[in-house]
Amino acid sequence: MKPNYIKIILLAGLISLACTTRVSEWVLLNSLPNQYTLIYFHNSQLDENIKKQNLAVVDGIKTANIQFKSVVRKDIEEPYYGLYYEDRLFSKYKTADEMKDLTSSPLREKIARELMAGKLCVMLYLKTDDKEKDEKGLTVIRNAIGSSPFGNIISLVELSRNSKEESHFASLLLNVEDDLRDIKEPMVFGIFGRFKALEPLLGRGISEGNLNLMIDYLTAECSCLIKDDLPGTDILFTNNWVNPQTALLNKIIDDNPFLGY
Amino acid sequence: MQPDTLSYDTLDSRPLPKWLIDQKSGLTTVQPEKIEMREDTSLKISFIVTAIVILLTISILTVYLLRKNKDQVS
Repeated sequence: MKPNYIKIILLAGLISLACTTRVSEWVLLNSLPNQYTLIYFHNSQLDENIKKQNLAVVDGIKTANIQFKSVVRKDIEEPYYGLYYEDRLFSKYKTADEMKDLTSSPLREKIARELMAGKLCVMLYLKTDDKEKDEKGLTVIRNAIGSSPFGNIISLVELSRNSKEESHFASLLLNVEDDLRDIKEPMVFGIFGRFKALEPLLGRGISEGNLNLMIDYLTAECSCLIKDDLPGTDILFTNNWVNPQTALLNKIIDDNPFLGY
Repeated sequence: MQPDTLSYDTLDSRPLPKWLIDQKSGLTTVQPEKIEMREDTSLKISFIVTAIVILLTISILTVYLLRKNKDQVS
């Protein structure tokens, strides 16, 4: 057989395999996280101390999905750091100390471990610290996960939006959409792939029906429509995402072929 | 991706996330093949084909045996 024919057959095989991969697994294996940009805005020549400080900042974030820039702006009174995702300003920091643990935190590490272990997704429940509201939503989420055939491969984690330890993470989540900070309601973020957070369900939108639709989305066969227009925001995190475990979803689908359609 | 949020008056009128709208409308799922009810003619065809085969076999054997007998008589 001519080498070209072999290549065509192999390519066709790969394409057919790609089309049967589920959304969650495809995103983890193929979709690189979008880059953040940290910009140091200043209005005068940088002195040696600032240069050293910025070198330390760069060193601290170099393994994350972020790049650093220094920009001169004559219209500002004091220098500051601006954290951008695409063209959206997420946060401002006056000093480098405020950016401590910007790219990593215990909860983010835990979530990354779950994703690398082959879990379908991590549902992150962002609480308001209003006990009544929080408990109501939590019960709905637990019921939805418990009744789903994929419940065993979904992790649920809770985080207070006022958490001091995870303040950067909470802030990143509240920037997934530009009005979330003003909405004092519990929110559920579906986190999948390489730390991509779906736009959240919030308040009364946290229903079993909507949560099941989120699970359906992540377990669906990955169509070109999905690949071309992936929803969500990549969370800032330092991880190399190498050699994730095989998706646990595949075994469930293999054992129950009618699931995931 | 741009945020899905537009201006709204109350939380209930806040637009749903695009992924949820797409999922509700079935846009992101692979659509199953539509199955249409058709008249099942396979049994009829099977009878006709069997009958044709039987008739052909009988005809061929008849012609063969007649010719064979004719040759033996002559």
